[in-house]
Parts: sequence; C-alpha cells; structure tokens
Amino acid sequence: MNHHFWSNVWAIAFKEARVLRNDPAVLTMMLIQPVIMTLLFGGVVSNTPANTPWAVLDRGRSETSRRLVEAVQTTGYFLQPRTVFSYREAEALLARGKAVAVLVTPDTFERDVASGQARVQLLLDGSEPLTAARVGSIVTSVVTSFRPDAGTAPPTGIVDVRQRFRFNPTLADRIFYLAALSGMLLTNLCLSASSGGIVAERESGTYEQLLSLPTTALELVLGKLVPYVGLSYFVLALSTILGGVFFGFWPRGSLLVLAVVVLPFVLASLAIGVLVSTIAHTTTQSVFLTVFFILPSMILSGIMLPYHFMPSPIREIGALLPLRWYQIASRRIVARGGGLEDVVGPIVVLLVIFTVLLAIVRWRMKPRLG
Amino acid sequence: MKRGRRPSEPGRASAARTGAIGGFAGANPLVKSWRRIRALIVREVRATFRDRFTVTILVAVPIGALLLFGFILTTEVKHLALGVLDASQTSASRRLVAELAAQESFDPTVVATRDELERLVASGRVAAAIVIPPSFDRDLERLRRDGPAPEIEVVYDAAETVLAQNAEAYLRGILGATARALVDPAGGRPRVTVASRTLFNPTLDGTAYMVSGTYGFVLSFLAVLITAVSVVGERAAGTFEQLQVTPATSVEIVLGKLLPLGAVFAFDVFLMALVAGVGMGVWPRGSLVFFLVVSAVYVLISLALGLLISATSKSAAEAVQRSVIFSIPLVQLSGFIFPVRNMPTWLQWFPKVFPATHYIAVSRAIYLRGEGAATLWPELLFILAGGVVLVALAVRSVGARA
Repeated sequence: MNHHFWSNVWAIAFKEARVLRNDPAVLTMMLIQPVIMTLLFGGVVSNTPANTPWAVLDRGRSETSRRLVEAVQTTGYFLQPRTVFSYREAEALLARGKAVAVLVTPDTFERDVASGQARVQLLLDGSEPLTAARVGSIVTSVVTSFRPDAGTAPPTGIVDVRQRFRFNPTLADRIFYLAALSGMLLTNLCLSASSGGIVAERESGTYEQLLSLPTTALELVLGKLVPYVGLSYFVLALSTILGGVFFGFWPRGSLLVLAVVVLPFVLASLAIGVLVSTIAHTTTQSVFLTVFFILPSMILSGIMLPYHFMPSPIREIGALLPLRWYQIASRRIVARGGGLEDVVGPIVVLLVIFTVLLAIVRWRMKPRLG
Repeated sequence: MKRGRRPSEPGRASAARTGAIGGFAGANPLVKSWRRIRALIVREVRATFRDRFTVTILVAVPIGALLLFGFILTTEVKHLALGVLDASQTSASRRLVAELAAQESFDPTVVATRDELERLVASGRVAAAIVIPPSFDRDLERLRRDGPAPEIEVVYDAAETVLAQNAEAYLRGILGATARALVDPAGGRPRVTVASRTLFNPTLDGTAYMVSGTYGFVLSFLAVLITAVSVVGERAAGTFEQLQVTPATSVEIVLGKLLPLGAVFAFDVFLMALVAGVGMGVWPRGSLVFFLVVSAVYVLISLALGLLISATSKSAAEAVQRSVIFSIPLVQLSGFIFPVRNMPTWLQWFPKVFPATHYIAVSRAIYLRGEGAATLWPELLFILAGGVVLVALAVRSVGARA
C-alpha cells in the first residue's frame, strides 16, 4: 500500500461512477424495485390467515351452536362458512381445497354445554401446514373460551393469559417485512451491480487497460465498489421514506446507527459480487451465479421467514450470509428501537465476512495480475 | 452460456448445420417439416450439452432448491428462547416453569427482575417472556373455590412477527394445561373442548408443502432464464438469423427450440421427483404420471416466455435482468411462500393471471391431497390456455421467413 492508495481508489471510483450513469439496469434496481417491494411487502403478501374458507357440520342446529359459529366468524380470519350435512361432504370439501377447516358440532351440543362437558370436532386440511396450524389454534382458542350465555364476553379460561406484543401490538406482518426490506433491496443492488464489473471489463478488453494503470488489485476493487456504496445509501433512504409514507412505519431507533450498520453489510455484499465476477468466465455466467445466490439468500437469511426454526445445517449456512446479520441488526434498530450497543455483534460479524471475502478476492485476482 | 459464441465453433460449422436443415427436396411437406424440426432438435441438444456450465446449472439448481426449500417451513415450536420471571417461587410456579421446559418447545432463561426481562425481549435474545405474579399460588387456591382465574403475563417480541404468532398458541396451550392439572389433577374443565383431526398431513410437516411448490419455482425461473439466455446468445452470434433464413418456418424454429429444452426440463422434473421421493421421503399422494404430464405442459409455457423475453433483449445480461425482474414477484405472489388467499381481496386477480400460480396450486393438490384431473380441470384448462397463447406469441416473435 503506497501513498497513492486513496487517490488511485478515487480515480477508479470516478471512472466507474461515470459508466454507471448510463446503465438502465442499475437505475431500475435503484428506483423501481424499492417502490414495488415496499408496496408488495407492506400491503400485499402476508402469512396471516385471511379470507379463509371453512364449513360447518352442525348436527344439533341449536341456538348455542349458532353462537359458537358466530364467535369463530367474528375473529375476522374467515369467510362466511358453508353448511354441510355429512362427513362425506365435509371431507370432500377439504380434499378439493374448497375449505381449510370444518367445525363439527354433535347433536347433543346444547345439553353438553349446559352440563359443562361439550366436545366439538375440527377437521383441518394439513396440506397448507402454516395456515392449518394458525387456523387450528384460532378456532381452538375461540371454542375453549366460549361461554354460551355471553358468547362475546371477554374470555376467562383456567388461566387468564395477559398477552402483550411488544414492538408490533397488532402482530401485523408488514412490520416484520418492512423492518428488514432494505437488506433485500441492497442485496439485489450490490450483487447485481458489482458481479458483472470485472467480467464485463475483461470481455470488452478494458480490463487490460486498467491493468496497465499503476493501480493494485485492491485499489481496483475498492475503486469499483465506492460508487455503489453511495447508491446503497440512496436506496436505504428511499426504502425508509417509502415505508414511512405509505405505511406509516418509521424506524424507531437511530437512523445514524442504521447508517453505520449498513456500511459493512454493503461492503460485504459488494465483495460477494466481485468474487462472483472473478469466478465467472462470461457476463452471463456471472449474472446466473448472482441470481442463484440472491434467491436462496432471501429465504435462508430469515428476511421472509424466521430463521430460528430452520434445521441445523441450513440454519448455519444462512449464518454465512451478510444478509442474515444485517436483518438481525436492522430489526433491532428499526423495529425495536435499539441503539449502537445492540448491534455491535452483527457489525463485527459483517466486518469479518467482508475481510475474509476481500482476502479471497485478492487471492483470486493475483495470478491474472502477476 | 455462450452457445454459438465459442471461438472453437467457427461460422462454417453452423452454416453446415443450417444447410442440412433445408436440404430435403421432393418429400411430403409434413415429412419435410418434421425432418427440419429434427435437425433443429439435434443441433439444440448438441449445443446444450457442449456447455458444461449450463449442464451443471440444470442439475444443481433444481436439487439445491429442493434441499434448501424443503426444510425451511416449520410449524413446530422447538427450543424457542423464553424468558421467565417467577415472582411467586412456589412449588406451583416451579411446576409451571418445569412443564414449559419439559416439552422441548421452550428453553427458559430465568431472570430475577422486570428490567432484566424487558431487556431480554428488547434485545431479541428471547422470543417471548412470561411473568408469574407473586400471588400465583393464592390465585390458584382461589380458583379451586370457583374464584377468578389467575393471571399470567406473557410478553412477546413481536418484531419477529411470525415467530410470535407460532409461539402464542403453544404457550397458551401449555400454560392452560398445566394450570388445569395444578387445580384439579383429575382433569378440570373448559366447558367446550376441541378434538382436532388433520387430514392429508397430520403432523403439519412443511416439507411436502415446500417440495411441491419448488417445482413451480424451478420451472418458472430456471426454464425462462436458460431459454432467454440461449436465444439471445444465438442472436448475438448471428446463428439465429441464419436459422431464420433457412426454409424452416417460425413454428418449426420454435418447436426445434422448445422440444429439446422441454425434454431437458421434463427430465429435471423427473429428477426432482426422484430426489424428493428417495432422499426426502416425499412422494405425490396422487398420480405421479399425471403430475409429470401437467409439468411437461407447464415447462412449455416457461420456455415460450423465455423466447419472448429474448426477443426484446439486446444482450444476454439484459435478458437475465428482465427474467429476474419478471420472476421475483412471481416468487412472492404465486403462492409459493405466501398464500394468495391472504392477499387483499381486490388484488387477488393479479397473481391468478400468472400460469405459475395455477401450476403451484395444482402441484400441491396432487402432492398433498391426491387430487386428479376430475377436480383440477379448471386450473389445468387455464395452464393449457396460457401455454397456447404464449407459444403463439413466441412463434410470432421469431418472425422467420414465412
């Protein structure tokens, strides 16, 4: 590293930024994707059951059983129930996916309730495990707290469980997704932008020109990355503002800390892109590799589904991704209002990942620069 | 993916190949057409298998996707970190804590103060925390004499929304059952109890659900990408233009592309079914043959889409970019992870425009509920219609000499 180091990095960065100006793909990633993804994750996709089709097999047809059905219905997760008249019909509905659950009340239901020993049956379609589990627990909690005399009175079971949902009192999915959405956008931006870089230069022959410059491999790589760091901050700001404007969800912690965390994450993501770029032989190959890295990382990192319950090897593979650590940090700051002391761990891990990647990139580029 | 662009494949080789495509005079037109298609197929197969990168991707991506996606969805709550503040410190409260730990659902961390508990939740180190009040023992005693139920406070870290949702029912269930056993060892009494019976997937295991969805993911994504890139590569190398000036018609060129690639992806589906069945124990409950047939039709849709994308892209990178932008909402909107039903009602028509949504629904119906053509025909019809439209558009986009 000589005294020209930073001026060399800066010169490459300037050249890279000028090229970038004419790249429509990067502009799309910067402007259109944040808008679409914010709308999608803020208002469209959700894992909470809604519009759930269900059916009722009401054997006794009593006032009490009607109340019970009404109590389930008023939870708001369900469509109007269909009425069926036999088990055959009920199972046929489930088998065709026309109902997720069927509630069966016995013909002695009214008397059973009065004597305190009533039992109802719930048939569930397990082919959608997440929905089935949630619907099962919703119905069970309605039924076990059901009081025929006052169907809508506050439930008092054997224990009065007072629940408090911190940071997200209504358990809205959107807070979960929006709190880490910037990680998804930045992964897309950084990897797509940097993975093509070196291959493209090699293909067009400008790589040799760069090599003839008095720059080292490290200066070349860092210089290429600098403009994308700037773009990343822009995307982070944009997605934060969009989430706030469209869905009223503003970060609860310090924006400054978020800006600190994002730097090692962006650097690590860019380094992955550069690594891909040194592995691929053609631009097309590099884009392929990038895509097949981005997609699983969305899922393994825990951005869309909680990573806590993923089975052992898969969970640990996910821990190698910068996105895993960024989403942990981002959720702490954005959703829980945490400060710098809450995200020291993730920052350190991200820096380690970045350093290791940079070392590998340097090693990969060396023979060609020799 | 640089078919036709290899330095080792000079223009004369492709010229010789294109020459063969036209060189059958005097036979019946249908036979001639078939011969031309066959020549195109042979050419396509050779080109595909010469590129090791493509072959690797064709095998590695489907299997990798199966193995990764197959295990990530779980409805079980296992070893979830749980904060416990036991202000009661009686045998009853200790029994409650022991019961929470015994089920393997929760790993309790005992704390002494309220502040500590709140910090645990806020830092995300526990997903939930329970507070047993000092009066817990007395409250239970009161309950035995038909008094009000004892109160237990549960604080969730709802920033991990899905986790909190999953944990809620488990936690409530264990708390209720334990308290019931404490009050009346013989049984106790909510007035109405529920007996749940789950059909088709009694353990609510997520593997079959994700495996059956992964077919849609791989076929929609990989097939579109590979086709788009292959055709753009040929256009860049000029070999596609050479095809267009041969006597081969647009339909023949499109079929010459789609049939061999279709066969490759049909083989991919078969391979995935085998890996899922042998390796992961997930076989379709319905007919495997029926599933393969439906998949083969769906493959054609993806390939036609790839051709269409390639027609509007100048470079391979641009084609991939377009396929990705097109395919990412596909992952989120097609029901692969998020059920379409949960979306706002006024928007649900949108995912239903994609054939992928219907194909994923059909795969799941066949795999998990064992449905057949008798009940699935509306979806099948939609997929077929989508296929016809897209192949027709692809033929138009090729624009060969008529």
